Amino acid sequence: MSTFLIITLVIIALVFFWFIGVYNTLISLIEAINNNKRQIDIQLDRRFKVFESLIEVVKKYMDYEKTTLKDVVALRNEAQNAKASGDEKTRIAAENGISKIASNLNVVFEQYPDLKASQNVLQLQEEIVNTENKLSYAKQAYNDGVERYSAKKKSFFEAMVVRTFPSALDKSFEYWGLPEEQSKAREDYTVKF
Amino acid sequence: MSLSDYHASTGDWRTQLKRNERKTRLVIATFIAVYVLVGLIVDVFILQSYYPRASLGQCFHALLTLRAVPYATLLMGGLALISLLVTYSMYDRIMLLGTDSFEITPQTARTLQEKQLYNVVEEMKVAAGLRFMPKVFIINANYMNAFASGYSEKSAMVAITRGLMEKLDRAELQAVMAHELSHVRHHDIKLTLMVAVLSNILLIVIDLLFYAVVFNRERRDDNRLVTIIVVLRYVLPLITVVLALFLSRTREFMADAGSVELMRDNEPMARALLKINQDHEAHADEYVEEYGRTAHEEVRQASYLFDPSGIDPIKSLNSAFSTHPSMEKRLEAIGFRRKNK
Repeated sequence: MSTFLIITLVIIALVFFWFIGVYNTLISLIEAINNNKRQIDIQLDRRFKVFESLIEVVKKYMDYEKTTLKDVVALRNEAQNAKASGDEKTRIAAENGISKIASNLNVVFEQYPDLKASQNVLQLQEEIVNTENKLSYAKQAYNDGVERYSAKKKSFFEAMVVRTFPSALDKSFEYWGLPEEQSKAREDYTVKF
Repeated sequence: MSLSDYHASTGDWRTQLKRNERKTRLVIATFIAVYVLVGLIVDVFILQSYYPRASLGQCFHALLTLRAVPYATLLMGGLALISLLVTYSMYDRIMLLGTDSFEITPQTARTLQEKQLYNVVEEMKVAAGLRFMPKVFIINANYMNAFASGYSEKSAMVAITRGLMEKLDRAELQAVMAHELSHVRHHDIKLTLMVAVLSNILLIVIDLLFYAVVFNRERRDDNRLVTIIVVLRYVLPLITVVLALFLSRTREFMADAGSVELMRDNEPMARALLKINQDHEAHADEYVEEYGRTAHEEVRQASYLFDPSGIDPIKSLNSAFSTHPSMEKRLEAIGFRRKNK
């Protein structure tokens, strides 16, 4: 009888510790996603500042940029307003608009050979590539975090723990992506020479 | 040999990571099992000298059911723990020994290339979701190589030779840095160090035991234990080396897969590997001399991106005991299979 009791107690203890383990893992996954989401904000903010100073520099060479600067500022305001009101769709659209201007900037550099050759512009180009890369890698890291969390949350056994503490563990996160119609448009887009 | 000689496909990094994770667990489990086994053999040996009439089976049984305290096993465990802590706290200072190297930061980057290198590492840090920016070092050398070190995210560092920085384009450089950061986030340095320390302790213990048996004047009725110890004395070094090498190759595959995971593109990594391989073949003599001139090269050999011992005619003899998988296999694992000619 006593060995039976001991075995039952050991099993209960093991299940208890496994429960705690799953709970803590899920919490750390959720916090990682929250952090990754802030990381996207940080990169968006950084990009805005970099572009402002970029356009300031290029403005001296071309008046093309006067309107571009206005566009960037307008899109940025739109994005911030959308963020404040929690409208993710408008916000993503506005941020994507800024991305488009970034690639246009690189095209502008190509059109002016002496401008392209100057060391300053090479540095600026590196800065643009770096900024855009960081932003897309931040989005990728966020999506990876969402993947890890969702897979864990929906797994067998783990799902039982989630059902026991739904308020702390059951969160839903959107994957960061383009809206359906936009991704269709991007897919159909080709360059014709 | 160029990339067009290979069938390209997408690199399935999820499967690769899983498979190698499983292999690692197997190696570590085997290692711990061997460690405990040797500990128990020592304990049986000690126990038998106290109770000469007890049989081997009785001794083992007493130890396993904890009726006799396995002092030697516990002592070996404690010893391993202490040596690991000491090694971890000293290790990051060892890796750059003998090289002519300097650190770069956004403030101290002198050229666009150095700035680009720092940016690339920072981008990969964002992609990997690391909390700390690793230190970035440049080694003044013409050969193309890189390595990562540090026992935790906080103390992580990556080092890259000037040759590599100058000869790779941005995407290739990024793939290499992603490979190195993958070593950091997979805790590979910790793992290889652990295996190295444990196997050293293991070999010392079995050596002591061997000499204790050889110089023991007492006659024993049961010679089985002595036989086991003598056999282990010669087999164990081989087992630990094979295990460590298997582990190291597994971790290289994992870092390659991790690089594909971070970039979501397998081509830059493949291009970088081929470029480094070709460069080492083209400048073999020159590089052998340059590697030879750098002191303490052996501490870095296992953690290099590309194993330079392949180009050295003397060292390549023991390629069966190589720390890195062959170039073909590495390319195949990330989705590039050689076309049949």
